[in-house]
Amino acid sequence: MKRTSFLLLSACALILAVANATAAVAPNVVRATIAGIDVLIYRTGVRDVVTLKGNLPAGDAHAAGGNIAVATLCGHLLDQGTTKHSKFEIAEQLDRVGATISFGVGPQALEIEAKHAKYYGPAHGTLVLVGDVDAGVIQTQVASAFAGWTGGADYLHPARSTGTDAPREQTVFMADKTSVSVTLGQASGLRYGDPGYVALRVASSILGSDFTSRLVATVRDTEGLTYGIGARLADDDFTDGDWKVTATFAPNLLNQGVASTMKQLKGWYDQGVTADELAKRKTNLSGHYKVALATTDGMATTLLACVNRGVGPGWIDQYPAKLDALTLEEVNGAIRQHLNPDHMFLIKAGTVPGGVDLSILGNIYQSGGVSGVTKTGAGTLTLGYVQLSNTVTIAGGTLAADFSQLVPPAKMDALNLTA
Amino acid sequence: MKPKPLFLLVLLASVAGLRAADAPVTDGFHFVKTVGAISEYTLDANGLQVLLLPDHSAPVITFMVTYRVGSRNEVTGTTGATHLLEHLMFKGSVHFNKEQGNKVDQVLDPIGATNNATTWVDRTNYYETFGSEHLPVIVELEADRMRGLLLRESDRRPEMTVVRNEFERGENSPFQALMKEIMSAAYVAHPYHHSTIGWRSDIEKVSIEKLREFYDTFYWPDNATVTVVGDFQPAAALDLIRKYYAPIPRAPKPIPTLYTEEPEQTGPRHVVVKRAGRLGVVGIGHKIPAATHPDAPAVTVLSLILTDGKNSRLYQALTDQSLSTGVSGFPFPTHDPSLHFTFIPLAPGATHEQVEKIAVEQIERLKRDGVTAAEVQAAVAKYLADSAFQRDGTYAIADNLNTDIAVGDWTLFYRLDDAIKQVTPADVQRVAQKYFNVDQSTTGWFVPIAAAQPAAPAKK
Repeated sequence: MKRTSFLLLSACALILAVANATAAVAPNVVRATIAGIDVLIYRTGVRDVVTLKGNLPAGDAHAAGGNIAVATLCGHLLDQGTTKHSKFEIAEQLDRVGATISFGVGPQALEIEAKHAKYYGPAHGTLVLVGDVDAGVIQTQVASAFAGWTGGADYLHPARSTGTDAPREQTVFMADKTSVSVTLGQASGLRYGDPGYVALRVASSILGSDFTSRLVATVRDTEGLTYGIGARLADDDFTDGDWKVTATFAPNLLNQGVASTMKQLKGWYDQGVTADELAKRKTNLSGHYKVALATTDGMATTLLACVNRGVGPGWIDQYPAKLDALTLEEVNGAIRQHLNPDHMFLIKAGTVPGGVDLSILGNIYQSGGVSGVTKTGAGTLTLGYVQLSNTVTIAGGTLAADFSQLVPPAKMDALNLTA
Repeated sequence: MKPKPLFLLVLLASVAGLRAADAPVTDGFHFVKTVGAISEYTLDANGLQVLLLPDHSAPVITFMVTYRVGSRNEVTGTTGATHLLEHLMFKGSVHFNKEQGNKVDQVLDPIGATNNATTWVDRTNYYETFGSEHLPVIVELEADRMRGLLLRESDRRPEMTVVRNEFERGENSPFQALMKEIMSAAYVAHPYHHSTIGWRSDIEKVSIEKLREFYDTFYWPDNATVTVVGDFQPAAALDLIRKYYAPIPRAPKPIPTLYTEEPEQTGPRHVVVKRAGRLGVVGIGHKIPAATHPDAPAVTVLSLILTDGKNSRLYQALTDQSLSTGVSGFPFPTHDPSLHFTFIPLAPGATHEQVEKIAVEQIERLKRDGVTAAEVQAAVAKYLADSAFQRDGTYAIADNLNTDIAVGDWTLFYRLDDAIKQVTPADVQRVAQKYFNVDQSTTGWFVPIAAAQPAAPAKK
């Protein structure tokens, strides 16, 4: 789950340091609750560079029936002025030290004015600072800067997700696109840190991460069907997440690309991964982890993720050992336990051959982020998750269907065109 | 032209920074200079340039090879060849290939090395970031593919469609399509005219023989720079580089130099891209000098004042007036005379004419009235902070050095920061008057159109 996050960068000139060999990270993280905020500080060997990252539970999942755009709007207004400073004064202050600031908002929200006070407070807020920092000085500054700030809400704690029971297919037609984007996936039912999570992450990496993974080695490297393809677990920091394969294909290679992807997915699911693949993937992921932690940005991102995921900074030091301890049975068992290729969703977006541009219909109500239509045969259209307001004209013919009701994807109706 | 006095001072300061005494004495190398924390060497055997930047703050190294060949070295029929060749560099070399079970990714993936390659107008680079204990195999692998590439037709065929999908992904973006059109109109003679990915027909049809010819012309040690950044001992790294690179001979023929110069532009140019989409974009390209030119720092400050942040001129005149959803601008750091881009995505209801007119008026006002000291100070502070963050970790440092190597002077890595600090309001006004002229500009509009009516369903 995404969240309202902010990123503040501040620096002067870079002077490279000669210090700080590898050591356990967690014991050197200075963590304290200051002015109600969970503050984590980690000093690295770099000089004069600090990366600051943090988040508050105020994304659009908090909308609770309200307008889901409000959280995003509220996030964008964060540097647009305060009761003390205009937006230009804020920009000027940041400019003076050469700092840049950015805000992002995900599904956790509020009505702009009324809800700002409720959600923008220290409670459940996290602040991570990594780089050339003096923990004592930072703690004092945070205490002074945020003194008297109150309020804030807890993260939402939604129920565990339920799985899907049938495959579905959606086409989102977009005109004038030379490459089709494809997503194939399902709800994973897993949060980061759940039993089986690391095992499925490793298995997914064997299927679709880096050039030696099965999807990249076959669909791209041997068959030349795509520039980019991969498989991964995602969106599982705060809630149950999802598992997906993403890829791009030229419209004329789309069917071949999807078929080849399905073949790899089925083989991986049915036969599992090999002991050799597992052994190599363990060292692959350990190596990537080491590289990722070697920048202030990478370390701050990882520390914040550890807090968001509820696993704590200790996870950073425990992760390599957890990887190493995985058995072949655990990894292959996790694939079978959490995934089912027969129940996955297949989404295609782009100038899909045979697809029809729905945007000409007008008044389309999009829900759940997907809408689309595919031609299934002469004179027949299959509509997806769309709502049409009126009788519409399409391709010179009349579509005289009553679509005043939302059409759920589970009940895709075939419509007859009077062309 | 005559360099500015201030720029000369900076140059002298850098020269004073040479610390030959600190350089390791290593057989087979000629020590060139040390600037900042970076030392330059030349491999006696073949002229390979080597840059070393030891930094032990984390146990990782980035190893990078930059070849001084990019899409500027291509002609009609071979556009995109540099990039396609870059892809084929992963398909196998004499001692590292799939048949032996040690193809590039079969070596790099199990050690978790982050690796990739990029092609741009002036250069092609290959890089790996990895735990510092793995340096030997990385040097061996990179040296092997410098001259030992297999380059088989059976590799080109599937890779051509991979690259074509990369082209197609780029074409999906109206913004990228607009940028290509502006470059094509702004450059008539110089090969910056065509984009690095190349024309679709050339990607599809260039032969393996042509690619081999390209490889045999440009992939030589005396046309390359090896850069090592991170947790290593200089003497040991130089030993490894000598061991694997010294056996490679110099290029048998001189590396061809590009002599085509873009003729002076004597009037405004205008291009329009019409495709399905929602919001329009206005893009303006102004002719500016190469990245090594003494005016480049002032152009960078000018760019920031015009387009960066809420206090920038165009943000206040357009975005804050609800006429655009934002503004962005950047000078292209290139080896040859370049372009400064300004992009303005239109807010709903705003017209291209209106937004272009206001942007031009703001530029003319700046040229007439100049900028304030406060604006210059803020731009310099932002540049220096960004510069520091562009160096967060070994890869980021190597990536920045890569650009400096490509434009022809790696010491820009340090000198540019120093030069930016010396820019004055008068410098900014002078370069605006000199380069940001309508008659030397190329303006592009992305005009969204309603999607074409789809064909009636086929009757079977």
